[in-house]
Amino acid sequence: MTAGDAVIRVNGVSRWFGSVVAVSDVSFDVRPGITGLLGPNGAGKTTLLRMMTGLASTSMGTVTVLGEPVRDNPPLYRRIGVMSEHETVYGFMKGRAYVRAMAKLRGVKDLERAVDRAIAFVDLEDVQHRPMDTYSRGMRQRMRLAATLVHDPEVLVLDEPLNGADPRQRVHFKSLLERLAADGRTIVLSSHILEEVEQVADTVLLIVNGKLAASGGFRAIRAALNERPYHVRVLCDAPRELASAVVRLPSVDAVNVDPDGAMVVLSRNVLDLQVELPRLAQRARVGLRRVEPLDDSLESVFGYLVES
Amino acid sequence: MEPVFRLTLGQLTGRWRIVIMAVLAAMPVMITLMVLGADAPSVRDFETAILGTMLAGSIAPLVVLAIAGAAFGNEVEDRTLANLTLSPVPRWQIALPKLLATIAIAGPFMAASAFLTAHVAYLGDARASLAVAAGAVAGVAMYAALFVWLGLRSTQAVGIGLVYIVLWEGFFTGFVAGARLFSIRYYAMGVAHAIDPRRFASADLLGPAAAAAATLVVLGGFFYLTTRRLRTMDVP
Repeated sequence: MTAGDAVIRVNGVSRWFGSVVAVSDVSFDVRPGITGLLGPNGAGKTTLLRMMTGLASTSMGTVTVLGEPVRDNPPLYRRIGVMSEHETVYGFMKGRAYVRAMAKLRGVKDLERAVDRAIAFVDLEDVQHRPMDTYSRGMRQRMRLAATLVHDPEVLVLDEPLNGADPRQRVHFKSLLERLAADGRTIVLSSHILEEVEQVADTVLLIVNGKLAASGGFRAIRAALNERPYHVRVLCDAPRELASAVVRLPSVDAVNVDPDGAMVVLSRNVLDLQVELPRLAQRARVGLRRVEPLDDSLESVFGYLVES
Repeated sequence: MEPVFRLTLGQLTGRWRIVIMAVLAAMPVMITLMVLGADAPSVRDFETAILGTMLAGSIAPLVVLAIAGAAFGNEVEDRTLANLTLSPVPRWQIALPKLLATIAIAGPFMAASAFLTAHVAYLGDARASLAVAAGAVAGVAMYAALFVWLGLRSTQAVGIGLVYIVLWEGFFTGFVAGARLFSIRYYAMGVAHAIDPRRFASADLLGPAAAAAATLVVLGGFFYLTTRRLRTMDVP
């Protein structure tokens, strides 16, 4: 397999439960690096992830991981690490015993060293000998990540791993993921929190109503939405004067002046607006203080896709 | 297989579970001690009521249901089963330690209960006591295979198991002779009878070879179904 080959290939996958279609004809490839699987709750992310890890069967279509069918293929699990969204742990076990048990189950050879390494990676050496029912939610998640990593998998599938994590833990988790991706691993991370994905993922898969709504780099997705009007917020000395000039531009659909004095421009061609806005401001002798796109976040793209 | 076995032992040996098992296991011994007096029942009545109906048909399956139903059932319910099924081992290596752990927990309680009950009733007859204990262990193993599978098959395993124990093992097989051909209770009694032919001599049981074969078929059949279920089910 070459570096450019798909590590995970989802081909025409559908899954239905009775008359409810959870995932509908989804196809995509996942390559090394961090891929974010994004969608609102109930979009079908977890069902898709379960099919990608072989935990659930497909109603139609195929999933291969590292070139092999993932369903009913236990030997493949030596190369995959999966962390489910469910945070339940074996509370009666100590953290180290849990990671050790998972390492043994996954056939790790140099057991103690692998356990040491995994626990050190998540920075939980101090609490490894405590029962896990005494852990905080964030500590449990990190110990679960240690158990997921202990057999040094090439592919990591993490379902909502940042659920319940506080901001400090999120930063820590993000740096862990970046280190793992830098080692050449393939990581699929699901979330319904947009900024989580936006901050760590190289590639985004947007799932809406069980369908793949968009995929690619974040900016590529944004560019693919050219048909959609962009909102640009402009702070200036005389918003009403500038608004009367801006509204005449052919690339501008509408202009509003908010009660707080900010001008919001709705445009289908931001590049044109970028060029024309300073020119118009100069001509009207209006000082521009700030120009910012209101839509340039994954959240707005996602919101747009969901609405549409 | 050792991690799954240890994990299951840890999951299933909660304090309350052990206390309830101990109380249930002590009941046949206590009742036998109470009825051994001037109006002691005949051997036939004792074997039918205490050993057959109470021990093999009620207490043993109830104890095993409490343990075996949870062997996979708890993990299905709290969604930790994926920890096991995402292991690179054949599915039988997950099913077997679960079954063995269930037998390892329930087996000693029921073997001790059966041995002591028989020891008291048969006035220290070692062969009779061992035969009844062996029958109890065989019964535990068969019930365990059935209920471990049921725990994986349904989230209502305990309810279905109770209905099975009360209606099938407790009611139908007591009245319908043909139903005994498909009764774990009667297979277990058949094993005891095979070791000591004086025991359950008046009961309508399978012969020694048939009892042994039935035990193996139940064990093997439900073990196969459990392994197959692990391969084909959608893991929550």
